[in-house]
Amino acid sequence: MTLHSIPAPERKYRVAGHPDLRVAILDVGLACCALEVGAAITAGLLVPEGSVDTGPATSEVSVLLISGTVTDALAPAVIRAWGALAEPRLAVSFGACANTGGPYWDAPTVTKGIDQLIPISVYIPGCPPRPEALIAGLARLASTDGPCQSERGDESP
Amino acid sequence: MTSHGRTDVSPADWLEAMAGLRSEGFVLFDFLTAVDRGATLEVVARIVNPVTRVTAMVWTTLPADAAELASLSDYYLGATWCEREAAEMFGVTFIGLADTRPLLLRASLGKPPMRKSAPLVARAIRDWPGAAQATDDGRQGGNPSRRRQLPPGVPEVFLHDDVNGDVASAELASGDQR
Amino acid sequence: MIPGEAHGTIALSASACTSCMICVRECPTWCIELDSHTEQVSEPGARRPKTVNVLDAFRIDFGLCMYCGICVDLCPFDALAWSPEHDLASTTAAGLVHGIEELESTWPSADCAAEAGTPGGDGSPSDS
Repeated sequence: MTLHSIPAPERKYRVAGHPDLRVAILDVGLACCALEVGAAITAGLLVPEGSVDTGPATSEVSVLLISGTVTDALAPAVIRAWGALAEPRLAVSFGACANTGGPYWDAPTVTKGIDQLIPISVYIPGCPPRPEALIAGLARLASTDGPCQSERGDESP
Repeated sequence: MTSHGRTDVSPADWLEAMAGLRSEGFVLFDFLTAVDRGATLEVVARIVNPVTRVTAMVWTTLPADAAELASLSDYYLGATWCEREAAEMFGVTFIGLADTRPLLLRASLGKPPMRKSAPLVARAIRDWPGAAQATDDGRQGGNPSRRRQLPPGVPEVFLHDDVNGDVASAELASGDQR
Repeated sequence: MIPGEAHGTIALSASACTSCMICVRECPTWCIELDSHTEQVSEPGARRPKTVNVLDAFRIDFGLCMYCGICVDLCPFDALAWSPEHDLASTTAAGLVHGIEELESTWPSADCAAEAGTPGGDGSPSDS
């Protein structure tokens, strides 16, 4: 199972309650947790850029949002998606499956945490986490020195 | 949909039975899978007559240690996918199945994981938190409720030494069925 | 707006916990760990000292937890409860493992508990 081309993240969002933060989300929705990302958008917690008049964002970050169960078969595609993401980039692990394998931690085919493969800046617990938890986690990005930021060692959002 | 009911056939009659039902109009293949019964492995196929909307379930029983069955792929092309899945998950060998590439699993996984004899390694190698006992303060001569606790859903045989030496104990050896 | 009965996280009232281990043993994902020891307590008028369990540590790995609520349902002493608290994101995987202090900090307020019809909310979980 391969994803031959990974599109650049084109979906830019403002994060409700954090007007300075703009996130470009590459959503790797692999299981039910992915629905919560859609719920965050329809609930107006993630506001598509341009849909409302927003002021200038002071920081923008590309986010690989891994929501759902990563299987060993699919893990290479997740790594490729990460590699295709433009810097500055951060990875967010959303939900129990992406965090540790979750309910499938004992399955022989499931990756026990996507952080074994790519550096994760923010882990959001839940099964699934609420949309509000996603917002809280994304807001955490703005105040954290994620693994990639420390690698780059330059600006902090 | 109405059901044609359950039909049990011997492995030798498997192909003939399925071919017969197909000629009766059961031309739509629905699914095929296996059920591990321990010493035996049952294979079940569900097929549908799309005109009369009648379904049929056909079962056969194989010895678990020699699970071989004729492939339905000459009669039902759609069975190929299910047979590949049953082959890698349950270790059924389908004679005449042209495409034997693994569907989902890494070759390194070893034993077909849906067999009950395949150890759930993750649960066998991790210490079960429920095994913890309150440490007593020494003034009492042992905890009267101290009996061995085993994790629910993990057969004792999987906790035995060749899976995990730490969890193994003499009291479990008697339960080892291998 | 998050309703008070929302299943955001699972909270602990350590003073209500008797270290019976039911939650630990029934957890399908093995995400709860509990350390305890026994102590002899002499009560006035009692012939012999009573053996009681004393809770030393209680950890839930919210990285593994699948929020099924079996522990909440099975706790005979209502020491575990759902809490609407949801902002639990962590920058490390280890940060998802919550100990007694963190688990008590999310104990639902009286308003939440009333809305959810669950125990708790009678002030704070414990001061011990």
